[in-house]
Amino acid sequence: MAILEEPIKGIVEVKNYIDGEWVESEGEIQDVVNPVNGEVIARVPISTKEEIDTAVEAAKAAFPDWRRTPPVARARCLFRLKELLEANFEELSRVQTQEHGKTIDESRGETRRGIENVEVACGIPTLMQGYNSEDIASGIDEYLIPTPLGVFGIIGPFNFPFMIPLWSAPYAVATGNCIVIKPSSEVPLSQMKIAELVDEAGFPPGVWNVVNGGRTVVNGMLDHPDIEGITFVGSTPTAKDVIYPRCGATGKRVIAQGGASNFMVIMPDCNLRATIPALMTSFFGNAGQRCLAGQNAIVVGDDDRFYKEFISGVVDTTKKIVIGNGLDEEVQMGPVRDAEKKKKILSYISSGIKEGAKIILDGRSDFKIKGDYPDTCFLGATIMENVKPEMKIVTEEIFGPTMGIIRVKTLDEAIKICDDNPFHNADAIFTSSGRTAREFKYRVKSGNVGINVGIVAPMAFFPFSGMRDSFFGILHTQGKEAIRFFTESKVVIERWP
Amino acid sequence: MPLNTSASVISFAKQLEADSAGFYEKMAERYPKAAELFLTFSKENNKYTTMIQRAYYGVITDAIEGCFAFSVETDKYTFEREPAKELGHTNALNQAIDMEQKLISFYTDAAEQSKAFMADVPRTFLIVAKKRKDREDKLRTLLEET
Repeated sequence: MAILEEPIKGIVEVKNYIDGEWVESEGEIQDVVNPVNGEVIARVPISTKEEIDTAVEAAKAAFPDWRRTPPVARARCLFRLKELLEANFEELSRVQTQEHGKTIDESRGETRRGIENVEVACGIPTLMQGYNSEDIASGIDEYLIPTPLGVFGIIGPFNFPFMIPLWSAPYAVATGNCIVIKPSSEVPLSQMKIAELVDEAGFPPGVWNVVNGGRTVVNGMLDHPDIEGITFVGSTPTAKDVIYPRCGATGKRVIAQGGASNFMVIMPDCNLRATIPALMTSFFGNAGQRCLAGQNAIVVGDDDRFYKEFISGVVDTTKKIVIGNGLDEEVQMGPVRDAEKKKKILSYISSGIKEGAKIILDGRSDFKIKGDYPDTCFLGATIMENVKPEMKIVTEEIFGPTMGIIRVKTLDEAIKICDDNPFHNADAIFTSSGRTAREFKYRVKSGNVGINVGIVAPMAFFPFSGMRDSFFGILHTQGKEAIRFFTESKVVIERWP
Repeated sequence: MPLNTSASVISFAKQLEADSAGFYEKMAERYPKAAELFLTFSKENNKYTTMIQRAYYGVITDAIEGCFAFSVETDKYTFEREPAKELGHTNALNQAIDMEQKLISFYTDAAEQSKAFMADVPRTFLIVAKKRKDREDKLRTLLEET
């Protein structure tokens, strides 16, 4: 089967999109490298403080008119954007693969989930309705009007360059706010492509802005008095120690989504035939670079026969994973984003071994790349047994294609391991017992809970949850919670004597 | 060749539809009496391709086992792209029936393999399999009339 054509040819000079114009930056320029072959596919500016200030000014200036634009008219802009995203679905997906390395199935999946958020936000005329009470006292009525606040900053991570900013952006603009998006400088092309379509969809200048860069742009957003709130998805240290406290200090609303170390609890009564593919995508999908990825499997019970069957099933299936260029439709796992990330993953594997884990599939060396590509960013899938809950490969986020296996005797022990972990993003159980599933769902302290589902990714009309060290804030991205986040509740009490 | 990813299976299905459409266009050229029927089949194939592609693009998501949803052995389902030159009408019809059976078997197998993972895709595969069964019946009727 042929490798799909690359949409990015040559080197793209990425610009900022401010006030409806493509603007060159005065900042330093960084290369954007395709992790599959090391080729430079774009050059992205690391924008300056002045440039983020300009974007915020443009957004602030656009706000009064946009806020007055009827929700149905704002929704029509989003409908046009949705149509354009559909029309460019394949190109947008291939761009993700080229800039990130993920497989084409994963990229198309990401495109679909991003578009779903635009679709949900198209319902803003009803989603944004308030409520009222007549006669709260004699002749007095009271009602609530959700109102937009102004300018919001949206800071995206490298692992889902297309989708994650869309967990926030469509809701922010649908509710009448204006936005400044800062994509990850490692993967700026998807947001550039979206901004091109936003422009074509006819959003007024200044409503949707994109400023590329790094810390200077983030700091510029955090410090800017005219930014009302920030949504951030990235690492826990940044979410916890930078974004959350600094938003607090400057009175901004905040959604700060951090990292994870998720558990897949395997009960001996699970359907292994369905469980194993779910685990493959959970642990090794997106080369393990997602905050919903399984990091450790907890196998429950003392049934050695089941355990052996589970291990051999998982190892045999994992060994067959086709690794290579994500634009090759047969490939099941692409590279990790860059060599630095690979190095970090390797150091976690070494640390696991040092702490007593036993490698049963060695992704450091035991893998083959389909096609003639350098192994700079490639890794095979690694499986480790004898993993203990206190090891670093459990307590910290690896963000790579690894699976640790912990064995426990009871469901209680499994739940305790989940709950003692600092992260609480997504945990799942695989079982054929409704009672066991309910017990797990009820007790586990995790923001997203899976039952026979390996990637607990909430649909656009549900909040993307998360708890403890995986989430800092109150309201979440996506759906009704996003609408709530991007609006203030104005309460009116009215009497006409 | 084994195919495991949704992308590769969808592309394979599209290729089968294109090959089968080409086959019927050749049949139409070679056997003008039934040309209308064969050209209808060829046109239907384009419709099936659209249906399959739409179903796939509509449900593919990063949250399901897109890269691990299938285990398709392509060798089982491949067929000759043209009716063999030396064949008479009867044998050519038999070749078409054989092709339809392979396609029915592909769509049925692929639907079964992916039913736990792919939402609308297996349903679409089964619709195409059913349509192809109808087509097989039409070909058999034609064969009887020959």
